[in-house]
Amino acid sequence: MSREFDLHMPDSLEDALNVLSDMESTPLAGGTNLLVDVRSQRERPKRVVALGRVTGLRGISFDGEKTVVGARTTISDLLQSPEIANSGPSLIEAARVFAGQMVRNAGTVGGNIACASPAADLIPPLMSLDAEVTLAGSSGNRTVALADYYQGYKQDIRRPDELITRISWAQLPRNSVNMFYKLARRKGDAITVTSVAVTLSMSNGKCAGARIALGAVAPCVVRAKEPEQLLEGQILSETLIADAAEQAAAQCNPIDDVRASAVYRRHCVQVLVGRLLLQAWNRLA
Amino acid sequence: MSNSKPVTLCINGRNEEINVPAHRTLLEALRDLGHVEVKRGCEKGDCGACAVLVDGVALDSCLTLAWMCEGSEITTVSGLGNAQDPHPLQTAFIDLGAAQCGYCSPGMIVAAKGFLEEVTDPTDDDIRMALSGNLCRCTGYAKILDAVKHAALLMREEGGKS
Amino acid sequence: MTCVDYPDQTAPNVKRSQIGKPLPRTDAPGKVFGSTRFAGDHTMPGMLHMCVVRANVASAILVALDVEKARALKGVVEILTAADMPTPDVQEEISGQDRTNGADTESPILAAERIRYYGEPLALIAAESRDIAEQARQLVEFELKPVRGVYDPLEAMKPGAPVIQGNSNIVAERKIRKGDAAAALENADFIIENTFRTPFQEHAFLEPEAGLAWVDENDVVNIRVCTQDIAHFRAIADAIGVPHNKVRIRGALVGGGFGGKEDCTLEKFLAVMARKTGRPVRLEYSREDSFVGHGKRHPLILRYKTGVMKDGTICGLDVEIIADSGAYLYLSPYVLLYAAVASPGPYRIDNLNVRARAVATNNMYTSAFRGYGAMQACAAYEQQMEEVAKVLEMDPIEFRRLNYLRTGDPVATGFVPPGAIWTEQCVDLAWKAIGGRAKPAQGPVKIGRGIAAYQQSYGRLSFLDDSSEAWVGVELDGTVIVRSGVADIGAGQVSALCQIAAEILGVSLDKVTVYSTDSAVTPMSGRTAATRTLYMTGNATKKAAEAIRTRLTHRAAQAFDVRQDEIEMADGTVAAKSNPGLSMSLGALAKICRDEGISRTELAMFHQTMQDNLDPETGQGQAHPDYVYGAHAVEVSVDTETGEVCVLRSIAAHDIGQCINRAAVEGQIEGGAQNGQGFALSEEMLYEEGRLITPSLSEYLMPTSMDMPRVESIILESRSGIGPFGAKGIGEPAITPVAPAVANAIADAIGVRVYQMPITPERIVNALAQKRQSAGQMS
Repeated sequence: MSREFDLHMPDSLEDALNVLSDMESTPLAGGTNLLVDVRSQRERPKRVVALGRVTGLRGISFDGEKTVVGARTTISDLLQSPEIANSGPSLIEAARVFAGQMVRNAGTVGGNIACASPAADLIPPLMSLDAEVTLAGSSGNRTVALADYYQGYKQDIRRPDELITRISWAQLPRNSVNMFYKLARRKGDAITVTSVAVTLSMSNGKCAGARIALGAVAPCVVRAKEPEQLLEGQILSETLIADAAEQAAAQCNPIDDVRASAVYRRHCVQVLVGRLLLQAWNRLA
Repeated sequence: MSNSKPVTLCINGRNEEINVPAHRTLLEALRDLGHVEVKRGCEKGDCGACAVLVDGVALDSCLTLAWMCEGSEITTVSGLGNAQDPHPLQTAFIDLGAAQCGYCSPGMIVAAKGFLEEVTDPTDDDIRMALSGNLCRCTGYAKILDAVKHAALLMREEGGKS
Repeated sequence: MTCVDYPDQTAPNVKRSQIGKPLPRTDAPGKVFGSTRFAGDHTMPGMLHMCVVRANVASAILVALDVEKARALKGVVEILTAADMPTPDVQEEISGQDRTNGADTESPILAAERIRYYGEPLALIAAESRDIAEQARQLVEFELKPVRGVYDPLEAMKPGAPVIQGNSNIVAERKIRKGDAAAALENADFIIENTFRTPFQEHAFLEPEAGLAWVDENDVVNIRVCTQDIAHFRAIADAIGVPHNKVRIRGALVGGGFGGKEDCTLEKFLAVMARKTGRPVRLEYSREDSFVGHGKRHPLILRYKTGVMKDGTICGLDVEIIADSGAYLYLSPYVLLYAAVASPGPYRIDNLNVRARAVATNNMYTSAFRGYGAMQACAAYEQQMEEVAKVLEMDPIEFRRLNYLRTGDPVATGFVPPGAIWTEQCVDLAWKAIGGRAKPAQGPVKIGRGIAAYQQSYGRLSFLDDSSEAWVGVELDGTVIVRSGVADIGAGQVSALCQIAAEILGVSLDKVTVYSTDSAVTPMSGRTAATRTLYMTGNATKKAAEAIRTRLTHRAAQAFDVRQDEIEMADGTVAAKSNPGLSMSLGALAKICRDEGISRTELAMFHQTMQDNLDPETGQGQAHPDYVYGAHAVEVSVDTETGEVCVLRSIAAHDIGQCINRAAVEGQIEGGAQNGQGFALSEEMLYEEGRLITPSLSEYLMPTSMDMPRVESIILESRSGIGPFGAKGIGEPAITPVAPAVANAIADAIGVRVYQMPITPERIVNALAQKRQSAGQMS
């Protein structure tokens, strides 16, 4: 029957990649997206490669330059990690409002990236950290910027024979603030209506770097690059921040759905981007 | 079923064998084995009624494949305690009126148990966050909050009952 | 939790060992140890697995239905379509329903030709396994020819709109007329007119519908199912064409009902398939099945036109109510009546004109849901009271105070309720408890507070038959057995009966065992609905226990040679008050009674005197046996930029007559607060051309643990109710005032009202934008 599939449970990355090299297998991490889609028959995988037994894919470390998160690291792992609290506070904020406990215990960072949903909660924080995604494949490894990873609605650059193995980002500059806010229709276990992650860093009283990532307001999570450029190198004022927020709202491309209208989402982008930037700047000052 | 195979699941400390296909969820396997205390509410991770502990971690059994659980310790609400030897959470749920229709209770108690392993002296907001994946339609969560808080106290006093 | 004693409370009529205390319920241990078996937890050897094939459009002609491919699948045992239904034309009688419009809108078991709503059942499959049944479902082929439908009740009332069935889409109408509303409105100093809208609400009980049916050795169809009403066995028997005594419903503890398991859900499917196959059959709804498998709360459009004098007296009120009845009738006529009777609220209004109509559409059918029309009316009238007070520039509570119904006053239908009307006390206590504002308004986040009062009936409509029976027996070891057909839907209904028996017979609660919800072996006690169970079956249980007590104390008095009123029963012991030396165990007394042929058991009936139907033109008469009164107060914060609302405090004050189990009462209040808060803020079943577009619990948004504040319960006990020990009820009242209290708090916070529930962040942002716009135009 249509919900049936073959299931492989490799112990090693090498074995997993071997199975995936047939180009028609589907990786399964925490299962919190894929199994829902299989049940509703939005996904009809022939062969599923469960990664639960693959060693070496779970864990959080700092390699001297970068924070490295294994793709099988769960959302709950993030919440309990002092390293993440230090190197990516927006991720903690996102993890706190990520589904419910059981889904946080099963769901993984790699899975959240791979599901490629515009509403995936970890992606805006990771984009605001300039995170990179490392893919392993039968023909070798490659590392790409998360900001370049998505190409459209639920479309990414991963080839069917590749696996996301790790996510990494460089330490934030000394004087930096990294924040996230998720707007949803209820507080617990909610799907995002609009989310915003920002990173601001300050040097000599000026904005040395700005990152703004927007969730659920475009076919995939997007960076608001023009507003970022508007801010970089400037002493931020309320007017400048308001201009950046307005620009972010103008550039996003939301849709109407059961949760909210496009008009409301755009409005919220402006409010939240402005609010987070102002809060971040005030904290730096 | 072409791809069925027998799997051995350790449920509440006892090994049980069941022949299941690869797509069979742990929820379906447990219920087919008679562990109907594990409740089916939505089969897509929205309600938490089917929560069980897998190696001490609370998971939605509807989003877990049975094949993947071989070699793991699975604990349902019935494995936590019984009338003769109740778990503090069960005692607190009874005494404080935290079970109304009772359909969410098995998952709710399991989720609370998984969480209290990590946080032994939780605040209200800690508990709210830990249980946000367990929907309840009867209680407004108030007495559940009270019961989990009280159980945490009992567990601290007991020095942690496993 | 506060218990307020008012001086006019009558004294308790027995020494209370049980009543009013927060006791652990008798059903709690099984639920937390996992030993409770719900309806879907039962299996039988040789059973088949069923599934239902449903229509995927809302308005269509079923041109072709081909089940042959599915039937050919190995493991498929039977597939039934409308042609196989034994008695397709049987219509359930809805008494008190006006059918002058010719609307014959009972739903068939399976659709034969015309599809009237999305999800309407077309065929039933029984197979050897769930997987096979599911696979067969996908092999059933059907062709639907779309027919122009209508999805808005206002559109459905217009000439030329597609008619769902019969001659007219107006399927029920109710009027209430008192005094001369038109003249009063003409003479009013101010007229305030507003229209309020409420959404489709889903019960979202955690337990999806499930059941198991088999035909036993006596040719009786047994159905083990989660239901609020085991008396459906009769309707099921009629539907499958067997005598009433050949269907037996064995209920179970129900994993939440709230009205959603009051109508038949999957019972007829099970019964017809069990008879056809001769094998046990099991059907479990998925959440998606459940969402299209039972009726929703009626969305209402309520237009209020209130005339007031400058001194704050309401001189006249004109109310028009339009209810979306969906594709089939179900309980719409009654829900509509509740809304009409409730529509003036707990206020004295001498000049009243209410016109309420239920309108058929191709939306999901609507039926019973906790609060039953009265709750939607409250959502309107309590917002309207605030708007009127605003025009009068009066404090909204003082304005209400000028107009409250008080004990002894007639309600809208002219009937004087027998119980107390303590609205004023409840409002004052709830408002006092909420105290000063939590924190000063800051930045874009504003704080607001709101209150709402209500009137909600308990007990069934007075012109419908209602009786309830309970059996009580004392065993030879002094333990007690209660038997009653009551379905416990989670509120502690059967535990309350145990507590009443324990109180009367002087034993502790753990000495009482209850057998419930079996239409063949437990005395029939009516449906668990209409906040009637404690009132009706509680009275029946009390009556039965008192009869036994009378016989036992009579015999004990003989044994001790004292007067009968000297005998005390407590803690399992029977003793003479005057002489503590004279005592024996209840078991010993039971044995004496056995030896002498004195009965230790009693079957008692409580009957509600049946009244005439209300006058069809004026609506005057007795609609309900009595009413509950109370209030809910809420404090919220509102982010005026994003529209996000956070409920900070939620305080309920209800006069429930008399607590039986205080913890259970609080549980009802807390759950009602959640259910009402969801209705106000986030819950809405959305349909697009009748098609459900919120088919899961991640799209239909009920409040989670992170959304709920602690709820404070202020429980008043007037002991004036007509239930046992002066009890009224709390099941439905708990939800009724919550949503308007939330709405009033939001309006207080942001200075503008959102007239449509749920009050979503987006609607708040839009209302604020409109307000700014109109302020800009004015300046």
